[in-house]
Order: sequence, then C-alpha cells, then structure tokens
Amino acid sequence: MVVVQRKELTLAERLYLPEVLRGLSLTFRKFFEKPITRQYPEEPLPTDEVTRGQPRLVVKDDGNIACVSCGMCEIACPAYAITIDGGETDRTIEREPKKFEIDMLRCILCGFCEEACPKDAIFMSNELELADYTRAGLVYDMEKLKRPKSALQRRIDYIYKLNNRWRSKP
Amino acid sequence: MDGFNIKDVPEVVLWIAKIAIIFGGLVGTAALMSLAERKVSAWMQYRHGPNRVGPFGLLQPLADGIKFIFKEELIPEGANKFLFRLAPALAAIPAMMTIAVIPIGTVVIADQVIPFSIAQIDLGIMYMLALGGLSVYGAILGGWASNSKYSLLGGLRASAQMISYELTLILSILVVVALSGSLDLNTIVDAQREAGLWNVFTPFGFLAFVLFTIASFAETNRHPFDFAECEPELVGGFHTEYSAMRFALFFLGEYCAMTVMACLNTTLFFGGPSVPFWPEAPWFLGILAFLVKAGFFLFLFIWVRWTLPRFRFDQLMRLGWKVALPIALVNLLVVGAWVAFTTKGS
Repeated sequence: MVVVQRKELTLAERLYLPEVLRGLSLTFRKFFEKPITRQYPEEPLPTDEVTRGQPRLVVKDDGNIACVSCGMCEIACPAYAITIDGGETDRTIEREPKKFEIDMLRCILCGFCEEACPKDAIFMSNELELADYTRAGLVYDMEKLKRPKSALQRRIDYIYKLNNRWRSKP
Repeated sequence: MDGFNIKDVPEVVLWIAKIAIIFGGLVGTAALMSLAERKVSAWMQYRHGPNRVGPFGLLQPLADGIKFIFKEELIPEGANKFLFRLAPALAAIPAMMTIAVIPIGTVVIADQVIPFSIAQIDLGIMYMLALGGLSVYGAILGGWASNSKYSLLGGLRASAQMISYELTLILSILVVVALSGSLDLNTIVDAQREAGLWNVFTPFGFLAFVLFTIASFAETNRHPFDFAECEPELVGGFHTEYSAMRFALFFLGEYCAMTVMACLNTTLFFGGPSVPFWPEAPWFLGILAFLVKAGFFLFLFIWVRWTLPRFRFDQLMRLGWKVALPIALVNLLVVGAWVAFTTKGS
C-alpha cells in the first residue's frame, strides 16, 4: 500500500489569498513575454540538412538527371510509391527513365530510396508541404520531382558525411 | 450652443440617447470581452491569440456573431421547448437590465449637468440584487429544460452556488450601505467623493471588498467557481445542449453580468466616477476614471480565470458557508456597532 505523506500546509498557504496573489503575479509577468508559437504560413518551419522531407530527383549541372532507371529505389520502397519506366538514351549511360512517378500520398518519407540509389540521383529534400485538391495531383511526375543539384547540396553533403563512416580509412 | 437649454429637450429623447449609449456600450463591452478573454489567455500562455480577422483580431467578435447567427439550431428530443427557448433570454436580459442604475458619472453640456445613468432610483442596490438574483433562472431552466443529465447537474450546481454566495455578496454590500447610510448608488458615490476616501481604504470596507470580489466571481459563474459549466465533469454544464445564437446568448449574459459586477465593485468600493486627489475634475475625466476602474476589474476576471484551477464542489461550499459567510456577518456586525456608536448624537 502506498501512503502519500502530505506536507502540513502553513497558515499563509491555508489562508489561500496570499497564494492567489502569488499566482496572479506569475501570470502577469508571463503576460509580457514574447509568444513562442509560430505563425505557420507566414513563418515556415525551420529545416536543415537532417530534415527528411519529400524525395526529389537530382538534376546535374549539365541539365540531365542523374537517374539511370536501375529500379533500386522502386524495389527498396516499402510503400510502393515509386513507379519507373526505363528507356534508352544516346548518352553514355545508355538508360534513363521515360517515366518516374512518386505517389506522394503513399510516400512515407522513410528515405530508403535515398539509401538504395547507387547513382546519387534521389535525395530527401527539405520540402514538407503537401496539399492539393485531387489525389491525381499528388502523384508527382518527373517534371515535378526535378531539382537542381545546388538546391539539394546540403543534404547531399550530409549523406556523404554519414556514409564516410563506413568507408575504409586510406 | 447659445440659447440651448437642456430643459427644452424632451425627456424621452434624453432617455433614448442614454439607453442607446449605455446599452450599446454594455453589449459592445461584452463582445470585446469575448475577444479579450482569448487574447489575454493567449498572452499569458506564450501564444498569439486570434489575430486573423481585422487588425489584431479586433473584428473576431463580429465574425463569431455572424457564425452563431447562421449556425443550425438543435433542440434535443424530450426537451421542454418553451422553457428551452426562454432560458437564454432569461440569462441575458436581467444581466443587461442591471446596468441601468449604475452611476457612470455626469455629462456637462452648456453648463448643464446631466447624470449619466439610465435611472436614478433611490433603491438602486435593491433593484440590482433583485434582478441579479433572477439571472440564475436562466441557468436552472436551461439545465432542466434540456432533458440532459449534465445540463441538469450544471443547473443544480448553479443554483446551489448562487444561494450560497448571494448571502456573502449582500452582506458585504450592506457594509457599504451602513457606511454611507443609503441604498442609492448615487449617494454612495457622493459620500465617497465628499469624504475623499474610497470605501476600499477603510478597514471594514477593505474586508467587504475582498468578500464582495470573491462572491462576485461565484455569482457570475467565473473561475475558480465555474461549477455550472465545469467542462471536464459536466461536458458544458447547463448549456451542453444549446447551439447557435441561444448558446451565444448565455455567453452574452455571462459577460454582461461580469461587466455589471465590475461596475458595481467600482461604484461601491472605488468611488465610482470620482478622480483620486482631484474632486473638481472635469466631467469627462470622471467618466474616464470610471471606465478605467471598471476595466481593471474586468481584466481581473480574466486574469484570475487563467491563473487559478477550479475548486472542488465541497471546497466551494466550505469556503462559502464556513469562511466567507461568518467573516461577512462579523464584519457587518462590527460596522453596525461602529456606525451606531459614532452617530449617537444625531
């Protein structure tokens, strides 16, 4: 059996009014402090390289996307959100995606595609906002997924730093 | 303003003007209080509060009003329809009517003094208490007519609490009546102005002021005594089943009652419209002083609400019957004896 030993209240505490005044002075002091809530649409969420937002495709500096449509991310995806149709290209890599779709309503932002990708072609961006009027509008095609490499550079550097732990020291 | 004489203006015009200003001011204050409640609570909790409708959210009460008017109204099955519809009006109307006797000050137009209150009756305090007692019918009838257990419990609690604290309220008002020797609120204000000493600064007056403030919180069903609407236990108390504008009317009544209580506190203990250390202050400063004092008490209502947790019902009853009432009784007896002995000769 648990016996709670309660402290005997002092006279001032039992009179209640002094404690009321103490409480009032506390709330009055807090009255003048700055609000800590964020006014969301005007003040967006702070993000950094650790933020695992929606996956985006890297567009290299020469204007081509890095993806070679190997299908690794498609297999790694636990939510079956990624659909890739490969095709031939005249570039030396020989293959590139004709269709690359991510169903953002299925995507769970786990980052497995980013881990699976052998060509540094897909990375988790810091974009978190997801809203549309139709379900079809939230199935993002290649044009919607493309981001220049510079926009994703912080995340790419971060992933390299993480992966360096597993590389053998020279 | 040459040749203007206030006697030339028909009395009816003066009445209508006064009623329009004072009643409009009361309802406007009640609407602003619904905004102030949310704003102050937000600032005390590091939040912003409503700030989307108009500058600083000032138009929020208007938006709320429009929303309430256009919402669907539900009347529960098995409810007594007549009483169910009557109750919100009974909650709101007495609270609004009591403002009529509060002396807000005087208006001077072309050297002619017009008392700025709707009615100057010599039984002002009796009138206020009688109508204030009526306002509990709104809660009881609303709770009973809803045919819901939570509403009924809320209504019962409201009535028990009102009866318990009305005694303390009246006894502490009687202290002021004994000190001023009148039931007329104008005379009470004048007595304080002439003595240059507000009732709150006299020893008996201060005790009565503390008791009156506590009882006024209970009378208006405000925290920490809001047992009639006690959300965690009773869902919403007596207004659980109400929706749309009838629900809003209960709140209008509550805020009007708070405003009147704040005005009454100002009148009884803080000299009403008298300006401190300046008995000959111009009339508009008097009205300003009244508004500032009443505004402070309105702020106090909100301030206490967002500071103190709710009592338990037995604690409420113990505080009312075993603490507040005996102190108020003894205080009144001592004041009575003191007044009787000091005014023996006259």
